[in-house]
Amino acid sequence: MSESLDKLQNRIFSDAKLKAEETIKDAQAKSQQILEEARRRAQKESEEIITKANVDAESIRRGILSSKVRMNRLRILDEKNRIVQDIIHTVEDRLSSIGKSEQFEDTAQRFVTEAVKAVDSDQPVVRIGFRDVTKKNLDGISRVLSKGGKLVIDEKPIDGLGGVVATDPEGKVIFNNTFKSRLERLDNQLLTLISSTVFSE
Amino acid sequence: MSGLDAVKKIVETEAQARRIVDEASAKAQQIISEARDQAERIRQEANARAEQRREETLREAKEKAEAEARQSDQETEQNLDTYRKLSEERKAAAVSKAVELVLNA
Repeated sequence: MSESLDKLQNRIFSDAKLKAEETIKDAQAKSQQILEEARRRAQKESEEIITKANVDAESIRRGILSSKVRMNRLRILDEKNRIVQDIIHTVEDRLSSIGKSEQFEDTAQRFVTEAVKAVDSDQPVVRIGFRDVTKKNLDGISRVLSKGGKLVIDEKPIDGLGGVVATDPEGKVIFNNTFKSRLERLDNQLLTLISSTVFSE
Repeated sequence: MSGLDAVKKIVETEAQARRIVDEASAKAQQIISEARDQAERIRQEANARAEQRREETLREAKEKAEAEARQSDQETEQNLDTYRKLSEERKAAAVSKAVELVLNA
């Protein structure tokens, strides 16, 4: 009986040890699985962070550069505009002082002729006013007008820079041929001409 | 040995066997718990490294863009100088052409 009891005890211990070993072995396998899963997950999360960082970096780079490029284009445009406006002002000065030049009489006659033709009236009223120009300087203008025409001489330059304004007797049809109006009518051509003269290669 | 003694012996043996299994079970739980802690550390360390690399990437991109922006500034300054010189050289011609256009258009 003692021998059978020893065998039974050994069997109980043996089963218990076997079960304990299996439990530990299962735990180690599960532990390994947890660590492998953690490494995979960590790798995936890291890759996602870095991929997003690269996208963000490119966005930051483009943002900084496009803002700078836009600002610099504006600086160039501002400078070109400043140069063109400076030239326009000089042109205005030159035009407003035409009364002192040899071109004056021809120019004034041509402006009057154009204005009278545009109004297309038998009795046009022509108002003329240039800086530094007296009645004496305008004798030739009367010849351009038809018999029914009327010439009004302003002492001051019309519209600031000088020029000619023609109307019909009722004042319903008006043609403004002052330097200021001509500058406005020729605005696009002037900008193109000045830009191409100054900035072309 | 009496029958009663034999039963006592068996009961003691089974109790010892249960302790062995219980200890193994506790140890197994500890192994898994430690593995979970280590897994969390692995994830946190990897994330920290990735965040650090992210910061470096963003800083480098910003520095590179700012360097390119400075280059753009320099080119713009050169262009502005060129336009200013051109305007000085060509202003008289531009004024003459514009005056002619206004007078004769």
